[in-house]
Amino acid sequence: MSDQKTPRKSAFGEVKGHIDALATGFKYFVDPHRMTLDYPAEAMELPKNYRGFFRLVDEKCIGCSLCEIVCPSNAIVMMQLPVAQSPAPQAGAQAPARPGPKVKKRPVVDWGMCIFCYFCVDVCPTEAFEPSSIHDLSYFEESEYRPTFEGFLKLPESPSKNSKKVVAKLDEKNGIKYEEKGDKE
Amino acid sequence: MTQEIKTVPFTYEVLSQLEMKEGILELQIGPAHAGSGHMRVLAWVEGDTVVKVDPDVGFVHRGVEKLSEDRLYIKAIPMVERPSLVDTVNANLGYVIALERLLGLEPPPRAQYIRVITAEISRIMSHLYGIAIYGIFMGSSTVFMWAVADREPFIDLLQELTGARVTYSHIIPGGVRWDLPKDFADKVEVALRYLENRMKDYEKVWINNPVVMARSMGVGKLSAQDATRLGVVGPNLRASGVEYDVRKNDPYAAYADFDFEIPTFKEGDSYSRLLIRVEEIKQSMSIIRQALKRLPEGKVIYEDYYKRMSPLMKEIYDKTGRVKFTLMLTSLSPPKGEAISRVEGGRGEMFYYLVSDGGKNPYRFRLVTPSFRNLPYFTHVMPGHKLADIPVIYGSIDYFPPEADR
Repeated sequence: MSDQKTPRKSAFGEVKGHIDALATGFKYFVDPHRMTLDYPAEAMELPKNYRGFFRLVDEKCIGCSLCEIVCPSNAIVMMQLPVAQSPAPQAGAQAPARPGPKVKKRPVVDWGMCIFCYFCVDVCPTEAFEPSSIHDLSYFEESEYRPTFEGFLKLPESPSKNSKKVVAKLDEKNGIKYEEKGDKE
Repeated sequence: MTQEIKTVPFTYEVLSQLEMKEGILELQIGPAHAGSGHMRVLAWVEGDTVVKVDPDVGFVHRGVEKLSEDRLYIKAIPMVERPSLVDTVNANLGYVIALERLLGLEPPPRAQYIRVITAEISRIMSHLYGIAIYGIFMGSSTVFMWAVADREPFIDLLQELTGARVTYSHIIPGGVRWDLPKDFADKVEVALRYLENRMKDYEKVWINNPVVMARSMGVGKLSAQDATRLGVVGPNLRASGVEYDVRKNDPYAAYADFDFEIPTFKEGDSYSRLLIRVEEIKQSMSIIRQALKRLPEGKVIYEDYYKRMSPLMKEIYDKTGRVKFTLMLTSLSPPKGEAISRVEGGRGEMFYYLVSDGGKNPYRFRLVTPSFRNLPYFTHVMPGHKLADIPVIYGSIDYFPPEADR
């Protein structure tokens, strides 16, 4: 492509430039485009595929450790958990051919290290991670970042669950417009 | 047209001579981020004139190259996009292209098109951020607030596609992780039309503002010859009049299919470096529109990877367009060899070099980022200007310290 001409200034252009700049500034003074949210009074309702905190569905997990292998920040650690032994077989009933394993391996995420890339969610062959769009969490203690296995089985409580939920909509005039979502979750 | 090349040698003898000379004041700008970025700019001034500038970089070095050597290939993807946080898609794309060349696989055309769309959205965001930083460095909070807010519709678009706001990790070897949602094209059109209208106001408030013109025209001039000699890249190089863009000169992804121009300016001053970003946003919009119009049908992941998916994974892909990782994708071990790739990031050419010894981790990974290559602006362009011109030149080159330090 040929070179383009940089617009160079002229005396008339200078005056016009000042007036244009001031007029545009005044236009936005009267009709501002605001994209900010009054958080936490208002909170954005995030789409379903938002990469937030997730939980483990224990029944689906097969303990294959793929999530631990693929985790880019090494936030996932496989825990060795004792398996509740099945009750002793009834008299007369056939004893199981092989006793089940005594321990099971289950992943636990350190939220302080997790970067929410969702590689673990995507690598899981049984879809054992249940994603959510909860993302605005904070902790007082460093130790709280590491949930126990039981803690990892349920989703954390969103701090903005009582806020007014708004949905961000793309808008040709305003860029982003927030529309109120009727029902609270 | 030959120009005398201005060289400022940097040796400690010159430095000590400067320190000995009376009336020379050494200024330390940074490294606490007070408009210096996460770096220190050492400037020697005589009166109000800068005689020497030494950028002291490395404060935010994270060792991406070394860290990748004890990671699986796929685990380096979130890491390579960290250095340039406002231009993550392009950073991700370059690494994946190098890896794909090493593996010898070609992603399907739909994935290539989606890569172009996301990369161009990322470029728009990067240029808006560049304009914003230029604004705040010159003391205009208005344009900073505007440009940072105007990234929001585009962040929102990619958030809808990938589920994250900045670090998308969207591109993987063999394709992309998520197919475009059904109404994506309409939403992109709304965002583009919004920015087009908004750009008119930018021109009135900022670009054609006589104050900006007076402040930046003729400041920080770099001739085409010097720019090539010093090896600066990206929009800064094109603002000096060199028509060089990796998207055209060495097309990657699907860039060969599109019709776009490389805007160049002759002047090579701070003002043309601002204008070039505005022009490139317009070109990016045109590429996005063309790509969405001609988006091919088909899979977004390499055919072989799809075949190896389990029935559950195939079902998820067919239903939602979300690509599940197969075991093969997780433990990639490319054959022995080396590969390079170049992509045109928001700030310029990004260079990737991968060496494989046949194992599961890269043997060597080299990443050359555009910000590092734009450092000659500090050493060679700033001297001779007034002290107050340092922020103007710094802001105009869109320098991003974490990207330079890697």
